[in-house]
Amino acid sequence: MCLAIPMKVMEVDGFEARCEAKGVERQVNLFMMQDETLETGDFVMVHVGYAIQKVTPQEAQSAWELFDQVLEAMDR
Amino acid sequence: MTRTASEWLDRIRHIDLPERVKIMNVCGGHERSISSAGIRGALPDQVELIPGPGCPVCICPEEDVYEAIHIALGEDVTLVTFGDMLRVPVNVPRREIRSLEQAKAAGADIRPIASPIEARAIALQNPDRDVVFFAAGFETTMAPVAAMLCEGVPDNLYVLLSGRLTWPAVAMLLESGDPGFDALIAPGHVSTVMGPEEWEFVVNDHQLPAAVSGFTSESLLAGMYSVLRQLTDGTPFLDNCYPDVVRPQGNRNARKHLDQAFEVYDATWRGIGIIPGSGYGLREAFASNDARVRYPGYSDESRKRVGEMPQGCDCASVVLGKIYPNQCRIYGIACTPRSPVGPCMVSEEGACRIWWASGVRDQDVA
Ligand code: SF4
Ligand code: SF4
Repeated sequence: MCLAIPMKVMEVDGFEARCEAKGVERQVNLFMMQDETLETGDFVMVHVGYAIQKVTPQEAQSAWELFDQVLEAMDR
Repeated sequence: MTRTASEWLDRIRHIDLPERVKIMNVCGGHERSISSAGIRGALPDQVELIPGPGCPVCICPEEDVYEAIHIALGEDVTLVTFGDMLRVPVNVPRREIRSLEQAKAAGADIRPIASPIEARAIALQNPDRDVVFFAAGFETTMAPVAAMLCEGVPDNLYVLLSGRLTWPAVAMLLESGDPGFDALIAPGHVSTVMGPEEWEFVVNDHQLPAAVSGFTSESLLAGMYSVLRQLTDGTPFLDNCYPDVVRPQGNRNARKHLDQAFEVYDATWRGIGIIPGSGYGLREAFASNDARVRYPGYSDESRKRVGEMPQGCDCASVVLGKIYPNQCRIYGIACTPRSPVGPCMVSEEGACRIWWASGVRDQDVA
């Protein structure tokens, strides 16, 4: 239940951001990111709707590849 | 993380391994990656990977689920909870309501949510109605719940908290004298929030190798290579194999919210008992949003004794890493994802559910 997925920041508005992953957009809460500066194009790890950490584009990419594998396995 | 999975495997195969090495992971997400990538089968025969206490749904005390069911049935409230909690069974006679899902079918207003944001939104949309948020989870999930509270919630939102810390369960296993593992893969996203330093006790107090890993095969195998090398070299240290995401001290801002909203207490784990310093409870400052203050009549002390795993179920041993899922007496027989007996088959991160999903159908009962 602790899984976090990487999302791309599209627009920041106070403690909220519009984020995107694989064509799906979500509102993400940034209340725990107060020590970071976030801009459009940055990547964050999102868990239950809250950003928990900023990550590099490379890390975001490898995490997405993993989720495809895992989701496929869980659908069986 | 420049090496590929097969390069890591190759390096692992070149280590001069002892006859048997057991590596424990304490994260349902790790177990899922290990199972779906087939990492167990790819490792040398000497290496065993045992899943430990890695799922907050599985260990959520029976009495808390019972409390949630009965608040939802007995009061005029909307109860919201993470979807995985809906099917967790409590131990009651056959004809009684035994899960939140059944309580919902019986007419209680129970809604699955995916985020604390939804809990707050539902409370805002229904200002005249109490909304009870039954929140179970480990540190990673508790931090957003704490952030929600610190950011401010409507007066009609009440949190029924069942939060747990992961490291005290590992500490308990290590202090038991019979931990059942030789090295630890520490959880990636718990450490993202709390910082890797939380796991230093494994190395400092118990001289066991440890590594924080991420969720890709590369990161997991890097962690396994690290702990195996630490073991054969006799130089345990806490390695961080997920450095892009897990930073020193974790997310300080998240930890600040956790500290502001919650205090730590000695808490019950289902099937295990009380683990010192392993539970989050709401601080006094948030008493006006505490479901246990609002609805005090539903916490039933006598259930704490009944609060075991369901009959015939070996979840307690699975949770503690004493047996593998398919060593449960009813794995795949009475207990399947379609009709789960124990919580480990309910939760998407339950070891039994993961093993079933990755195709393990045979029992391995000694
Ligand atoms: S198979 Fe079912 S009963 Fe047995 S340990 Fe797993 S979840 Fe529990
Ligand atoms: S068996 Fe269940 S409780 Fe234990 S770690 Fe796995 S998922 Fe968690």
